[in-house]
Amino acid sequence: MTISPAINGTASGTASQDRRLRTAAPQSGFAPWKDPAKKPIIRFEGVTKRFGDFVAVNNITLDIYEREFFALLGPSGCGKTTLLRMLAGFERPSEGRILVEGKDITDLAPYERSNINMMFQSYALFPHMTVERNVGFGLRQEGMPNDQIKLRVDEAMALVELGKFSHRKPHQLSGGQQQRVALARAIAKKPRLMLLDEPLGALDKKLRNQAQFELMRIQEQTGTTFVIVTHDQEEAMTVASRIAVMNQGTLEQVSTPGEIYETPQTRYVAQFIGDVNIMEGKVVSLPGDGTVDITPASGDGRIFKAGACQGLVVGQQVWLSVRPEKFRISLEQPQSTINVVKGRVDDVGYLGSISHYHVHTEAGNRVTALRANSSQSVERSISWDDTVWLEWPADAGVVLTA
Amino acid sequence: MRKWMVIAVPYVWMLLFFLIPFLIVFKISLSESEISIPPYTPVFDLTAGWETIKTQLGQLDFEKYHFIFSDELYTAAYWSSIKIAAVSTFITLLIAYPLAYGMARAPKEWQPTLMMFVILPFWTSFLIRVYAWIGILKNEGLLNALLLNLGVISEPLTIMNTTTAVYIGIVYSYLPFMVLPLYASLEKIDGRLLEAAEDLGSPPWKTFWQVTFPLSIPGIVAGCFLVFIPAVGEFVIPDILGGSETLMIGKTLWSEFFNNRDWPVASAVAVLLLLILIVPIVAFQWAQQRSREAGR
Amino acid sequence: MKSRFSWFNVTAIVFGFAFLYIPILILVIYSFNESKLVTVWGGFSTKWYAGLLQNEQLMDAAWTTLRVAFISASMATVLGTMAALVLVRMGRFRGRTLFSGMIFAPLVMPEVITGLSLLLLFVAINFDRGFWTIVLAHATFTMCFAAVVVQARLTDFDQSVEEAAMDLGASPVATFFQVTLPIIAPSVVSAWLLAFTLSLDDLVIASFTTGPSATTLPMKIYSQVRLGVTPEINAISTIMIAFVTVGVLIASYMTRMQSTRAEKERRAVDAGAK
Repeated sequence: MTISPAINGTASGTASQDRRLRTAAPQSGFAPWKDPAKKPIIRFEGVTKRFGDFVAVNNITLDIYEREFFALLGPSGCGKTTLLRMLAGFERPSEGRILVEGKDITDLAPYERSNINMMFQSYALFPHMTVERNVGFGLRQEGMPNDQIKLRVDEAMALVELGKFSHRKPHQLSGGQQQRVALARAIAKKPRLMLLDEPLGALDKKLRNQAQFELMRIQEQTGTTFVIVTHDQEEAMTVASRIAVMNQGTLEQVSTPGEIYETPQTRYVAQFIGDVNIMEGKVVSLPGDGTVDITPASGDGRIFKAGACQGLVVGQQVWLSVRPEKFRISLEQPQSTINVVKGRVDDVGYLGSISHYHVHTEAGNRVTALRANSSQSVERSISWDDTVWLEWPADAGVVLTA
Repeated sequence: MRKWMVIAVPYVWMLLFFLIPFLIVFKISLSESEISIPPYTPVFDLTAGWETIKTQLGQLDFEKYHFIFSDELYTAAYWSSIKIAAVSTFITLLIAYPLAYGMARAPKEWQPTLMMFVILPFWTSFLIRVYAWIGILKNEGLLNALLLNLGVISEPLTIMNTTTAVYIGIVYSYLPFMVLPLYASLEKIDGRLLEAAEDLGSPPWKTFWQVTFPLSIPGIVAGCFLVFIPAVGEFVIPDILGGSETLMIGKTLWSEFFNNRDWPVASAVAVLLLLILIVPIVAFQWAQQRSREAGR
Repeated sequence: MKSRFSWFNVTAIVFGFAFLYIPILILVIYSFNESKLVTVWGGFSTKWYAGLLQNEQLMDAAWTTLRVAFISASMATVLGTMAALVLVRMGRFRGRTLFSGMIFAPLVMPEVITGLSLLLLFVAINFDRGFWTIVLAHATFTMCFAAVVVQARLTDFDQSVEEAAMDLGASPVATFFQVTLPIIAPSVVSAWLLAFTLSLDDLVIASFTTGPSATTLPMKIYSQVRLGVTPEINAISTIMIAFVTVGVLIASYMTRMQSTRAEKERRAVDAGAK
């Protein structure tokens, strides 16, 4: 997978990037994972879960902090849902411990974990109860007096903006409304920790985007710690304070959305989040100015410069990854000679706000580049079979060692 | 703790009222007949101590099985049960298939009603439905009266108390068991498949044999098992409609038990009947399992 | 699919249903026959029905049958629901294969074998045979049917609903009674009805397991059937058929109403959402 056709992914990846920058300001101080004095609210300690011979979760150690909106991201079968279900108490770890607020909850049954509530992928609304009874279910289990239940239910319903449906049955609601009921039902218990298993998976795209912002609003208003499981990288980028990218039961990388996108640590992460061009190569030299010189494995002797990461040695096998939007594509040869590739346009995809170009380079690689269509055909547009040059700054290339 | 109790209650119940009774049947089939109450010996007397039990175990033998295999009456009864069950299963299939097919192709809003009318006889008493045929089939019955009046026959047919009457009874009683799985598999067939076949130039009868029929095979298999297995051990139908002429093993077991009061022989007959049925029962369970897995 | 076979379909359905229903219809018609002869129509009369009420033995047998069916069906429904829970919800445990075998086998087991084996059990443990032995025998064989009916419902039931209840603090027992049972209730009712009818119907197992003190209606009918066709049996059969038919019609009408209403509500919501 050198060129992935995830055009949407790339486009929206950048879009959520923008949003992150906009909202980053008020949140900028929020980074408890960097503060060694902070105690995590959740701690996984060497947690492994096996189903027969299949290892669903493999020796995971992970800390999640209070008020975080934490996303577990990965393809289906990567173990993210199993991790969440162990937190809720539906699965017991084969090995390891789970601590919540310093207390070992590994052996507690789901109904004994009163400070943890979950919102289910299928919503799991009780079909025989009205919306009101659904939302009040958890409170009735606690034996709370009826008048207090009424207040708490109304509060939760107001929070999800669903007041007027309280006497309907779930099957009389639309998908979006059902999703709100499911959320209200979990939030009504005022848990310390809210688990969301693909909460928006059943909604269509437009509704989903709206619901994502709503989740963020509710998370902020209630101050609850949210852990969300999703396979949708865009959703994770939008809502999360930190993302854990999972692959085959292990954690590939745990970072903020910006770090995940800009400085992925593995090829898997780079390819899973957005679109990327990856070239195999070898370290030629380390000039010591924070850059690294790489020559392609194809062996044509050219040198590319990229930002160095720690622990590189000369001669090491590495991969150079460049996001498509980092290229500057032009019909004229640029003056610089560093990080310039000449090629021929194979294919052009016009997407309105942006266009993407599949370029066949001289060295025989296929590369994807993106360009925003900011001006209306002032310059001659690039077309099939045009000879073009791709140029990128040294800090746009990320060196991956795995 | 509670989970353990939920398992234990039905488990112990079935062990006590299903499995242990079978072991008792097997044990008694190895005992001697006796004219007493109960009419067999020996019974395990657990209070008598281990030594006595051991001598009692030594008295058990396979003599009753020997007897069954050497007496033509029993072997003939087994064979004729299997034959009657197989033939009537086939006839049931021939009658049920067009009915199920017609139902599956009927307008959608009619289908639940038709289904209900197939199931309705199943809810009414088996005994009564078999009984209803006596008035029709006997020599001075309605069928003969009708045929005589129409001049089709000049003297009454003898159907009652023959194997033919048993066939009719089995086909009639078990028809719903065949129609339901057939209908279920025919109804599932995507109508677009048939349209595709016709679009590709297949005439309707060919479409039926090449598309509809192969897709309905799971229904055929399930229906045949559901008719064949209980038909082999059927008692009421051969007893009421078959008269003394029809040999079926269920009837033999009944009369061995109630008329001859020979419990050990009745038990041995039951054990052998079970052995015969184990093959189709296991095959049926296996087929069900497979179609369930394929459905996923 | 407007099929060009529709004449064929109609014929198949008409013949199929004629075969299923003509014998029953004849039986019903002749229960109103003035004449005692089955083949001769002697005019309309309800005298055989009046005669039934005077037949104390028959009435006794009917009452016994209803009581046996009611008690055994109730036991079978509880046991069958538990068995279904064990099969669907308890996962793997030692002896599960044996258990599912024991639940499945009685469904296809010839009644003569079930009856004989249960009788021999009752004799071996010296249990007085009569009313209660029939109840136990019926509860045993009908619980397997009940288990299958409930199992089917539990299998296509979204298990996350139960998980949600536990997540919200309900213990497993509270979850079962507040969530699972209300949702599977229709299938539990069907299971009870099925067990009840099977018990009403049964001749063979009851004949084996009863003692001198208890006679059920099928046993009574059977002993009279062996003596030949009489309008009196036709009359009692007609009452039983009417009883069941009305029940099934009401049940299917109610489920139909329920599903149409749910469908309407759903459509209204969809229309509102747009």
